[in-house]
Amino acid sequence: MVEKRTFVFLILATIVWAFLASAFAGYYYLQYRNNTEQLDAAQNSLNKFASNYSQAANKYDLLLSEYASLHGNYSYFIGSNYAPLMLPLRSLIANLDKNYTSLFAQEDMNQSYNQLLSDYAALLQKGNVTREDFGSLLSEYYDLFNLSALRELGLLISQATALSVNVVIDYGNGTLEWHNQTKVTAGYTLFRLTQENAVIKSSYFAYMEPGHIRIDSINGKATIVNYTNPSYSWGYSWIWYYWNDSEQKWVSGPVGCDAWLLKNGGVYKWNYEYWHFP
Amino acid sequence: MNTRKLAFLIILAALCLALQIIPRPPNVEFTSFFTFVIGLTEGAIVGAFFGSFVMLINGFLSPWGFGGLNIPFQVAGMIIAGVLGGVYKRFTGDISFSARFSLETAVLGAFIALTYDLITNLGFSLQLILTGEDASLAFLTAISYGSFFSLIHILSNSAVFGVLYLPVTNALNSLKVGELPWSKKERLYS
Repeated sequence: MVEKRTFVFLILATIVWAFLASAFAGYYYLQYRNNTEQLDAAQNSLNKFASNYSQAANKYDLLLSEYASLHGNYSYFIGSNYAPLMLPLRSLIANLDKNYTSLFAQEDMNQSYNQLLSDYAALLQKGNVTREDFGSLLSEYYDLFNLSALRELGLLISQATALSVNVVIDYGNGTLEWHNQTKVTAGYTLFRLTQENAVIKSSYFAYMEPGHIRIDSINGKATIVNYTNPSYSWGYSWIWYYWNDSEQKWVSGPVGCDAWLLKNGGVYKWNYEYWHFP
Repeated sequence: MNTRKLAFLIILAALCLALQIIPRPPNVEFTSFFTFVIGLTEGAIVGAFFGSFVMLINGFLSPWGFGGLNIPFQVAGMIIAGVLGGVYKRFTGDISFSARFSLETAVLGAFIALTYDLITNLGFSLQLILTGEDASLAFLTAISYGSFFSLIHILSNSAVFGVLYLPVTNALNSLKVGELPWSKKERLYS
């Protein structure tokens, strides 16, 4: 016969055990629920990404077909005045605008698009369109078309993932301004990152590529260019660099800042530095 | 309560606070044991007062940070430890010193840790509710995510109560016996 006192303590011990077991069961249930929710969210995001990608690919293929058709007409065109091809090109540009309207709200893209329109208008006014002139305009269109498609894909990827990047602004006087762990979407360029982290002024150069933007000032610190002496020029400019992980060194930006796509974990630098020529 | 007993309780309270402040694994504590012992030797009310006093101060000095909204719940949890000490004294009749009672106090230590954790988790869930969490889910979340800490608390409390019960109650008993002539003198001069 179990003593009443022993029975009481056995009950107490059982209560403790039952509570702990329930708490752990609850813990694993909550963890399971959280994991399931996260997995579902990830799966939905991937499904959405796949569906959006299909739409973007269809759009790209259609526009590419239209371009290929015009390019074929251009390649096998008989005659010296290419003006009859200007109307199909106008239609191509209009389609590009219709399909990538939201992208052309971005400053650099908008400038490239307006440049294309103004080049088109200038060529149309000439009346006689040479093969070289038309070819050059067609290439300009194709570059913008490819850039638009690339940016759109970047935006699609950003719906599934975000990038974390770091940028430092070196004012050349010992002041370093770091912007660490900045969250950006895929397809972001260094130009857009700089725009969001500093007050900048920039210039657009149509014939400079890849990338058409030059930074004229960051947070009030403006570039200085001195061409007064024809045989010797000098100045201070904002030059950008990216950090090369494998070589552990800063590498000077090989293209314009509006053409350089950011990578996850990337480190970038704007350096205010002196230059002279020769 | 005479001056000597008050001084003794204050020393024990200081000891508890010192133990609370020194670095130790999370949820390994000695306050509930001393509170229980005080309840056992001095009665439920003194034990409850002792526990609440220590936890009130601990709420402001704890190395884990300011207790905030959880302080009343910590105090309530420790009051239960003191009261249980008093109840155990009645349940036992006279304080006995044997291995069997060590086993019993080990179970009581686990039960006190459990009660304390339930009450403080209630306090934590109240904070979750204030941040917009659903009430029932808040309590479930607090208990579930605190289960590892509860396990540590329950196991360590069982060990502390089981191991320290006999030597500490023996020491307290000797202290009481030694105190007797002093108590008589105190009465003589008062």
